[in-house]
Amino acid sequence: MTEQEIIKLTNQVFEESFEIEKEKLKPEMNIFQDLGLDSLDIVDLVVALQNKFGVKIRNDDRIKNIRTLGDIYKFVLSLKAEGASPSL
Amino acid sequence: MKETLKLICFNFIFYVLFIFFSLIGIPVLSAIVAFQSIFISHRNGMKKFRRAISWYGLVIIKALPYPFVKVIYEDLDKTKTAGPFIFTSNHRSASDPFLMACLPYECVQVVNIWPFKLPILGFMAKLAGYLSVREMPFEEFSKKATGLLNEGVSIIVFPEGTRSADGSLGQFHGSIFRVALETGYPVIPLCITGNDKIPARGTLLLRPGTIKIHKLSAIICDEYKGFTPYKLKNMVRQLIADEIEVMEGKRNA
Repeated sequence: MTEQEIIKLTNQVFEESFEIEKEKLKPEMNIFQDLGLDSLDIVDLVVALQNKFGVKIRNDDRIKNIRTLGDIYKFVLSLKAEGASPSL
Repeated sequence: MKETLKLICFNFIFYVLFIFFSLIGIPVLSAIVAFQSIFISHRNGMKKFRRAISWYGLVIIKALPYPFVKVIYEDLDKTKTAGPFIFTSNHRSASDPFLMACLPYECVQVVNIWPFKLPILGFMAKLAGYLSVREMPFEEFSKKATGLLNEGVSIIVFPEGTRSADGSLGQFHGSIFRVALETGYPVIPLCITGNDKIPARGTLLLRPGTIKIHKLSAIICDEYKGFTPYKLKNMVRQLIADEIEVMEGKRNA
């Protein structure tokens, strides 16, 4: 999966799960301050990302350091590179 | 110089009266409610206790600071929706929880950790069933909030979670909107303006002014059914933001 595909699918998660307009989905956007997600939304986000990419990320500590949309792209890319185990 | 003197007098009088009224009013009101509770059910006792808290709040926000601070409450809800309600308000000042006494309903507030640590007031808030959202997992919060709503008690939330530092509307936390989606109770946006400096964040100094509170139309279950919590909280946030701009004359109604 290419970087562009990962960005596209991650953005799809935000559009489908949170109905956030495509125009707002820029890598520098802070998911809390700019996009308005809270801790419970993060749980929904994790589930949606797991389903979209077929990876397990619920107990991954790196998720705590995520602040921007760009951080999520990088995180998913690293998971894919590590060949994370399929969850479904 | 004259203004400074006026400000000092106002604050001195207010805080003396505040301490005096709290020392007398809280024990007297508590004693009356405790005595009445002997003869009535626990539920009715709690109803009276929460009403007593509202009276206390009304004295603090309307009587004690008058005429330096005026509070104007307007109910703009024409829907005649039956309660209980989930009230969601913007949060600019430490006076906001007291201002909620203007709502003519039996209410409990969702608070942060620190209000429970206030002497006397924190204890009374705990007794009244106020919910400290950060001290419990969401499942427990949801269960307790649902229980209160099912008993007919409305819930007041400041979904920004903390007072705004610059008056702008912060992002909303979604816990209460998840409860709304689970239970279907109507959500009512509240907008407070004019209290930014009564008192400002980080100080206890009160400045004279007029506080306006607008209660907007109830958003009933049919209107938000099928929404995600994220969508509901942002819809309510936008309604509050729009009304605040109207109240502050930044845009037309």
